[in-house]
Amino acid sequence: MNDQHNQSRRRFLKLMAFGASGLAVPRFSQAGTASFINKPIPSSHERLPVIGLGSSRTFNVGNDPFGLDNVAEVMRYFFNAGGKLIDSSPMYGSSQTAIGYGLKKLAKTKAVFSADKVWTWEHDEGGPAQMEQSRQYWQVDTLDLMQVHNLVAWQQHLQTLARMKQQGQIRYVGVTTSHGRRHEELEQIMKTEPLDFVQFSYNILDREVEARLLPLAAKRDIAVIVNRPFQRGELIDALKDKPLPDWAKTIDCKSWPQFLLKFVVSHPAVTCAIPATTRVTHLQENMAAGFAPMPDAAMRARMIDYVEKIL
Amino acid sequence: MGELASYRLSDFILFSETVYYRQFELYNQAIWPLHTVAILFSLLIGYALWKMPVWAGRVMSGLLVVAWLWVAWEFLYQRFQQIHVVAEYYALGFVLQAGLLVWDGVIKNCLTRCSTSQLRIMTGAMALFVALVLYPFTPFMTGRNGLQFEMFAITPDPTVLATLAILFIYKAPKVLYVIPVIWVIVSGMTLFIIQ
Repeated sequence: MNDQHNQSRRRFLKLMAFGASGLAVPRFSQAGTASFINKPIPSSHERLPVIGLGSSRTFNVGNDPFGLDNVAEVMRYFFNAGGKLIDSSPMYGSSQTAIGYGLKKLAKTKAVFSADKVWTWEHDEGGPAQMEQSRQYWQVDTLDLMQVHNLVAWQQHLQTLARMKQQGQIRYVGVTTSHGRRHEELEQIMKTEPLDFVQFSYNILDREVEARLLPLAAKRDIAVIVNRPFQRGELIDALKDKPLPDWAKTIDCKSWPQFLLKFVVSHPAVTCAIPATTRVTHLQENMAAGFAPMPDAAMRARMIDYVEKIL
Repeated sequence: MGELASYRLSDFILFSETVYYRQFELYNQAIWPLHTVAILFSLLIGYALWKMPVWAGRVMSGLLVVAWLWVAWEFLYQRFQQIHVVAEYYALGFVLQAGLLVWDGVIKNCLTRCSTSQLRIMTGAMALFVALVLYPFTPFMTGRNGLQFEMFAITPDPTVLATLAILFIYKAPKVLYVIPVIWVIVSGMTLFIIQ
């Protein structure tokens, strides 16, 4: 038992070291400027930029032409900055249609890594019908990642998703939770189901997932998408009038969003974070967090200590 | 369905304050000039309450039925549904209230006996004044775009407030209060969450 425990501990530490070393070395493009950090999806080794784009609340603009154009503008800057993964859900009102509008307008339907969710209790025909509707809203040929939203009817949906993956209708399968809910159940699913991705909330103050879920994801080769890296904006509101520490410069942090995002994506088991925004200026700030240098373990501890002290 | 228990109301409010009020602006632009019909409804209700003719109860009930059905279909289902996944259930609630008003107000003619309490009549009259006259001016009072106004018989909140005011003035069956009171709670919480 002890041996087993030591083995998995060693494996996790190895992963930590591997992840940290991968992050610590800035990669440079041909132009000589630092390039966006990408991390591999463990099940396929396809690489994803560490900063993605969420759409909950922010992209739900109905059929407002100004709102749709604003979404497209945010997406334009996202892609230009090196972003790839956009996450949505049928639960987010009109967000999917807004994303589809943006992708079409920017001619990025092939470039995007589309991460959507199935969110229905009707799992027989309702699930596939909802996913097909989502695909049409996105205006893409296939959705890359399909996740079971908030573990709703996950047993049945995962069977459907496995079949769809086999048939090439989707490329990856995942499950999601948010706000730290139902972690025990999620842990069981991660232990027993063949998942490519898992999504949950993680930020500098809500670190419960560090204890079990993040190590488990690393052990089971499951990519991790982090939602609510800013606690839905509450963390930024709480920190905006507080001074950023001088030593934040050593990891190229010029703002609190960058500080908070670098903390999240520097965890070796985290594949990417999906902050959401309606503003191009905020998006640019977020995307800047995707560049090296990233904090190492000691710096991460210092970041936690500092934030906990000032809040 | 046990998973539903893990959701909070705020999990379903997935739109911003800006987008919420923008819906009213787009809606007002889309349905103009139907606002003149809404004004006519308000004048008719005012006249009916002032003069209390024999047809007052039935006509006011009929106007409320049209208002609730219009708001259910045109605002909640056609527009609000785009940004709010549970709006179709709200629309169903509004249709149900219209049905109750048809039964109790139009068929059974329940809105005939005015309350004997002066305080109650005054409170109802003031609430009605707010719903019919003041409510459309709230964007100007709160610094929002004036086109984002809300009107009785056009949008939910003033329609519900006017209905409650009329029910309060009359000795209305209690069942007619249920859905409007639920709406006041739901709408109040929604506004609280998005602000």
